[in-house]
Amino acid sequence: MTTAKPHAPGALIDTDRRGFLKGVATAAAGGGLAPVLASNEAAAFAYEPYPRDDQLETVVTSCAHNCGSRHMLVAHKKGDVIVRLSTDDGRYQRDGAFGKDTEEEPQVRACLRGRSYRARLYSPERLLYPMKRVGKRGEGKFKRVSWDEALSEIAERMVYLKTKYGPQALLDQSYAGASYGVLHKSDQIEGLLGRFLGMFGCRTSSWSVPSYQATTFSSRMTFGTIEDGNEDDAYAHAKLIIMWGWNPAYTFHGGNTFWYMRLAKQRGCKFVLVDPQYTDSASTYDAWWIPIRPNTDAAMLAAMAHYIWANNLHDQNFINRFTQGMDRGTMPAWAQNQESFKDYIMGVSDGVPKTPEWAEKICGVKADDIKKLAHMYATTKPAALKASWSPGRNAYGEQYNRMAAAVQAMTGNIGILGGCAEGVGKGYHNEAVAYPYDQYANVWYAAIKSDRWAHIVLNYPNVKREEVGLWPRNDQLDGVVPNIRGIFWQGSDWLNQLTNINKEIAAIRKWDSQGEKESLLVCMDSTITPTGIWADFLLPVATHFERHDVALPWYKGHYYIHRPKVIQPLGESKSDFQIFTELAYRLGFGPAYNPRATRDYFNNDDPVDEAYLVAWWEKVQHHQHADMSWEEFKKRGVYKFKLPQPHVAFRDQVEKGIPFQTPSGRIEIFSTVLAQTPDFTRTQYGSYIPPIPKWIEPWESLNSPKTAQFPFHMVSPHPRWRTHSIFNNIPWLRETFSQELTVNASDARKLGIQTGDTVEVYNDRGTCVVPVYVTERVMPGVVVLHEGAWMDIDENGVDRSGNPDFLTLDEPSPAGAFAYNTVLCNIRKTNLAHRPGWDQLASARSSVFRRDM
Amino acid sequence: MANPQDKAKIKEAALAKKREVYVPVKPDMQLGFVHNNVDCIGCRACEIACKDKNGLPPGPRFRRVQYIEGGSFPEVYAYKVNMSCNHCAEPACLPACPTGAIFKRKADGIVDIDSTLCIGCRRCEATCPFGAPQYIPEQNIVSKCNMCVDEIEAGRKPYCVMACMMRVLDIGPIDKIADGTYQTKAVGPSDKVSRQVRDMADPELTNPSIRFVVHTKGAV
Repeated sequence: MTTAKPHAPGALIDTDRRGFLKGVATAAAGGGLAPVLASNEAAAFAYEPYPRDDQLETVVTSCAHNCGSRHMLVAHKKGDVIVRLSTDDGRYQRDGAFGKDTEEEPQVRACLRGRSYRARLYSPERLLYPMKRVGKRGEGKFKRVSWDEALSEIAERMVYLKTKYGPQALLDQSYAGASYGVLHKSDQIEGLLGRFLGMFGCRTSSWSVPSYQATTFSSRMTFGTIEDGNEDDAYAHAKLIIMWGWNPAYTFHGGNTFWYMRLAKQRGCKFVLVDPQYTDSASTYDAWWIPIRPNTDAAMLAAMAHYIWANNLHDQNFINRFTQGMDRGTMPAWAQNQESFKDYIMGVSDGVPKTPEWAEKICGVKADDIKKLAHMYATTKPAALKASWSPGRNAYGEQYNRMAAAVQAMTGNIGILGGCAEGVGKGYHNEAVAYPYDQYANVWYAAIKSDRWAHIVLNYPNVKREEVGLWPRNDQLDGVVPNIRGIFWQGSDWLNQLTNINKEIAAIRKWDSQGEKESLLVCMDSTITPTGIWADFLLPVATHFERHDVALPWYKGHYYIHRPKVIQPLGESKSDFQIFTELAYRLGFGPAYNPRATRDYFNNDDPVDEAYLVAWWEKVQHHQHADMSWEEFKKRGVYKFKLPQPHVAFRDQVEKGIPFQTPSGRIEIFSTVLAQTPDFTRTQYGSYIPPIPKWIEPWESLNSPKTAQFPFHMVSPHPRWRTHSIFNNIPWLRETFSQELTVNASDARKLGIQTGDTVEVYNDRGTCVVPVYVTERVMPGVVVLHEGAWMDIDENGVDRSGNPDFLTLDEPSPAGAFAYNTVLCNIRKTNLAHRPGWDQLASARSSVFRRDM
Repeated sequence: MANPQDKAKIKEAALAKKREVYVPVKPDMQLGFVHNNVDCIGCRACEIACKDKNGLPPGPRFRRVQYIEGGSFPEVYAYKVNMSCNHCAEPACLPACPTGAIFKRKADGIVDIDSTLCIGCRRCEATCPFGAPQYIPEQNIVSKCNMCVDEIEAGRKPYCVMACMMRVLDIGPIDKIADGTYQTKAVGPSDKVSRQVRDMADPELTNPSIRFVVHTKGAV
């Protein structure tokens, strides 16, 4: 180490990587990475006065929000102001050094959204004080009030509504938007709000998850767990990766999935994309693109199964050992007279063999392509069929996910390195909960399919339980449809994000007509949101830079990132936990709600949060064998687990014969639970779901007669420049991408529209206005409009922001999947104005260049 | 319209002029960028990291990831070209600057602008064939990528490189990048680098310090 020479500027960027690292290590040993200047050149510097990173205080933290991943952010601050953000560069972990970035312990580098966080933190849209509505709902007129006033009035109204309308009156619409940490957690099912309302004794829960309910259902039914995911490094070992509706270049699931897939490509892995769009993932991985009509995926998978069986390419050993109901031989004894999956596929039971030719008519994919793909998948080992969530966000989306699981199983690609059983795809199990987690964690008095609340409000009391997916109970509240009288939005922009926004607005208008005191809308967030505009009270929530927590990737990734209070909360903002604790004190259950705190918590949260986190870290040390003290973890800011081998879901089941967590202990292609359900109207599903995966015609698609009126199928995938609706207001991000409708070039020619024209996208549910991007990269008949634009309604009820959820239908699939992608629409050129944001800042499309014309 | 004879004269005069007023700095070692056009997912984390690092308002973009696509459904292709300032061996911006604000560092060949001397005349913006100089109306100056000289002097790499989620953007001595002896994750085991991408300005103009792993459809 003593051989390192003094460095001229730039000399550290050496051709010899070892020399490079050595030099850094030397500098580090000499007390930090001090600049070593050896030249008088370039004394001038572009931005004087300009604090360099090493003159600033460095604090490791992470991004937040609901993207499925979690990356490191490193704040460089002066005093209480963050000057800039960087990300993981290998220095912070144990045995770290600048530039350390191995396959085993890669850097967890933040994406563009995380990197823009300073703009959100200090944005003009930040909520700094409690606000109370003074205008009509939705009018956006608020006045500043004190915390005491806001919380008193909220508590008073809560008691009134509970007393008058019963224990189901308040709807929990918390979501993972604002607060994904182990302590300050917003969560749909078991977050801080759920516990708060449950203990208060008045809570209707929203049980279906907008992102992935189809696959949750499928994974639970098929494998008995949603932890059916490999860690992302397992992708580097696949020989074939089929990205089914999956765009890892946009949706960052796992800290480094896209990078591990790049390694796979370098090692000779082949890629296929089944998707209506030729995505950036397809181009990056040089994938064979198979364009498919939206919402027909289950049919194509069925045809693949047919081809595999017809050509004897299946893994009969695997089928016999691990599956139930794949074929006649694996049907359980009690169901010998029922239809097996193979019976269905080969047409034994219904006389319709699900051949590639049969599927071609439905999917718009050539039979030969289906055969070729099925052959590739069945003969390449190991092969990863990644059945993504997006095709499941459809009418009968659960059939697609279950069908994919069946195809994964029949080829024996489950439980092996380089294979894939995903599904939900949740990988490594992290210790996720530091907040009080006890018998009150998920108490509810009604639980509904999440996008049926407006339907209930508008039609109450003439609503059947099966229309809204009431979860069964064992008491007198079973089947009782809630009389919803208020909503708490915590870390949630659901008014903007659920389906059929016009219907939601109608529901709020119905409440308006029933008198000011008879309903309550509370929005807790760090910024104003399109949902907040409709609230009665806006409560300012401290961002994750302003409270103490630990971040974890909830989806994939085996690391924790410490999140100290980097800066003091701006304005009067408080953490969610502080707000709920104070409200609980006012409602009489403060000590039980937050057992480690006193009422002083509202003003001094540091010691209590520390105590929760210390206790949580002890669990991490015991359960996960983290060999680092809490103090060292805090000092470093990150802990990365080193796994002895890549984590692969169901490896133990397949290698050691441990039973799956299903009733039969097998992979249930034929579901015991579904086959033994006598009456679906009394389940949360509301209507029949077959015990084996089947192709079921969706209520609208490019194959339905409705195309005469609405000839385009709209899909609304996740954008890259927002996390759902979060970051829509960030100018830096808005100049890199813009909200626009992707239209196929031949369709555009027919309509006489070109890139940059503004169109109305409409159907019988609503209309939105948005500019057009014309491309060959989407299949004819399909239009793409990314979800999450902040709604901006003009006087005629037309949305100027281009929010697709003015067109979506609030009718979920039986298993609860939101049918976000089951939408027919039409488009026409318009003179109406599109507004990319609430400010007047234009959003400049960064050009897409066609380079072959 | 100049006649052919005049054209020859103009060329001669231009060459003479160049020789008179501008001898490019010969750096001890020229740093440059390398970008993999194919493996880049186009996420633009580098762009945002750059904006944050340099405190830029909306508008000026030191780094620009360009999206290129072509073909006809369903035979389509797409790739990305990522460029900021190319810190050219013979920067066109430098002699265009009337105040001498633009300079090229001797040690590493980085081209930088001393903003205290910049008068916002935007000549450099007009001369650069790659669109690197960015005018900032709020400050009435032109500014551009300086390869994060502060980070380089601290022994690290620029923010854009350290932001790259796919590890397809890197810096290094440009001659070593060019001859394939520089170890970098940006270049895969079977990749070759090229100094030009289709429809990019002619590198002969300024000899830009950048290399690309080029998509087959982007090869020149």
